[in-house]
Amino acid sequence: MSFSDFLLMRNELLLVAAAVIILIADMSFSDENKRGLYNISLLTMIIITVLGFLPAPSGKLFGGMYITGDIYILMKNILNIATVIVLLQSRGWLEKPGQQKRMGEFILLLVSVLIGMSYMISSGHFIMFYLGMELATIPLAALAAYELNKSKSAEAGIKLILLAAFSSGILLFGTSLIYAAAGTLYFEGVMAILDSTAFTTLGLILFFAGLGFKISLVPFHLWTADVYEGAPTNVTSFLSVASKGAAVFILVIILNTVFKSLNDVWDPMVYALIIITITIGNLFALRQRNIKRFLAFSSIAQAGFIMLGVINDGGLGMATVIYFVLVYVFSNLAAFGVAAAIENETGKESIDDYNGFYRTNPRLSLVMMLAMFSLAGIPPFAGFFGKFFLFTAAAEKGYYILTLIAVLNTIISLYYYLLVIKAMFIDKNGAPIGYFKSDTAMQVSLVICILGIIVTGFTSGVFDYMVNLSQQFFLTLQ
Amino acid sequence: MNALTIIFYIMAVLMVVFSIMAVTSRKLLRAAIYLLFVLIGVAVFYLAVDYMFLAAVQVVVYMGGILVLIIFSILLTSHLGERLQVVKPTTMLFAAVLSLVSAGVVISVINGFTFITSTFEGDKLTVAHIGQQLLSYDQFGYVLPFEVISILLLAAMIAAIAIAKYKHQGKS
Repeated sequence: MSFSDFLLMRNELLLVAAAVIILIADMSFSDENKRGLYNISLLTMIIITVLGFLPAPSGKLFGGMYITGDIYILMKNILNIATVIVLLQSRGWLEKPGQQKRMGEFILLLVSVLIGMSYMISSGHFIMFYLGMELATIPLAALAAYELNKSKSAEAGIKLILLAAFSSGILLFGTSLIYAAAGTLYFEGVMAILDSTAFTTLGLILFFAGLGFKISLVPFHLWTADVYEGAPTNVTSFLSVASKGAAVFILVIILNTVFKSLNDVWDPMVYALIIITITIGNLFALRQRNIKRFLAFSSIAQAGFIMLGVINDGGLGMATVIYFVLVYVFSNLAAFGVAAAIENETGKESIDDYNGFYRTNPRLSLVMMLAMFSLAGIPPFAGFFGKFFLFTAAAEKGYYILTLIAVLNTIISLYYYLLVIKAMFIDKNGAPIGYFKSDTAMQVSLVICILGIIVTGFTSGVFDYMVNLSQQFFLTLQ
Repeated sequence: MNALTIIFYIMAVLMVVFSIMAVTSRKLLRAAIYLLFVLIGVAVFYLAVDYMFLAAVQVVVYMGGILVLIIFSILLTSHLGERLQVVKPTTMLFAAVLSLVSAGVVISVINGFTFITSTFEGDKLTVAHIGQQLLSYDQFGYVLPFEVISILLLAAMIAAIAIAKYKHQGKS
């Protein structure tokens, strides 16, 4: 191994460097004015995101403990983009008086979560996977508990850390069973040895339960609504997009590599989980009046839809999952961005408060409308293509009834997404939220999201590129 | 049946008993002490299969470090005489049934599995060997997790500071 091999870890090394830069820069700004620190961090993150698109070598490091390739880089790029957007959206909130003092910690924790996700996706060994997962969870719990003056925020933090610890325990027990069966923890080694027995099935189920918690699939979803509601809105949006996306990515990789031989076991499992996740997520979303709880249940239902791509164990399945996560990043962050802008300005979180919002703030209402259309899957926007490809992926494997159930659920979801639009555009309100101007960073982030929703929907090259990479990934496996 | 087997069964029974006591005790400090006995039991198991270094680590890290930390945090956050709330009988019944059923499933599955016998002898594992493996970058080397853990610890410390700093600000 030579030093040039470290270039394979480009994304992670750059992120670690960014963390060090932020840590040092934090010291040179006064507690009252940290605008400079914010700018430096944002610039570093943008540079890293742009560098991520440069062609990168693929290969393995540390004897197979770290794996990288074009598809891994693509996944990390999506997470980097999500982080940059979240960072843009948090500026107004971070620069509030009294909040500035802790800005450095907030950004640093965000970056360390991203490092964890990167290592998790690139892991080729169960220990690396577990470490990455913990690194992507523990700082998040602190971020959820960031607004300690609100008891709900503290509650969100403690719920997240306790339930994450519990699910990690289950996941580790599953991993230990797999280790006992295979005698190795390297993905490659396990893949070669593992066969379908009751013992390995139990290991797979326990492992899946641990990851299901991160993706918030029903029945592992009970933490989601409370944590999403209590955590600061920007943290919630990060949690719903990046945290979920990273877990889905590694789930797809692991199911298709390590647990390939247990395909007959996890297929019906995913099948059942999809049905209950979509249905329960949708039914509970119908009843929510708080925008953050509403988006929490909507994100549970969306997680169910993502699993439609997971059930297809081929290049198309993986490509649709990646594409949908990318679309979901833009749509969900646009919705959360508007919610965060309103909350920052007025402190209001209820959907009823949005009544008549279009009269006073037409542009923000328009962004929210586009985001909701994309989440619901209305044709010209990217969300439609995302869902359409997911249905194609499931139907390709012959799961017609499952696809039908998913399509029916889309119609239910359309109803509650339109409720938000109805509140904004149609419902009358004597005292609507007054006109306000959100800060530049927020505006930029919303423009990026809207562009993303439209561009990823209209350019077919994006999806073709993903299908290409996924097929290459499956070719290298054989 | 040799002496080792007898010791194993005695320790196993003791560990199960103390584990149950740790989760049912209504006094936090007592629960922590019961946990201590469970951790000692694990160390004894390591010794029984000749993993000397691992047993020492178990004693130093878990008993010397983590348990002391748990006791510290108990003493800092609650009063000594404080008793935990009584769990509702229905909840207790539900939890008991659930854990018994899952224990049954796990035990029956593990019983039906034939493990591969390891050819590795524990007493051949020296501390030097562990140290080299921990910092090796070839296959079966663990230098990458070793480094990533340091990032994890740094992040955890910063997370703790971010929470602790807030209190300070509230007072001033």
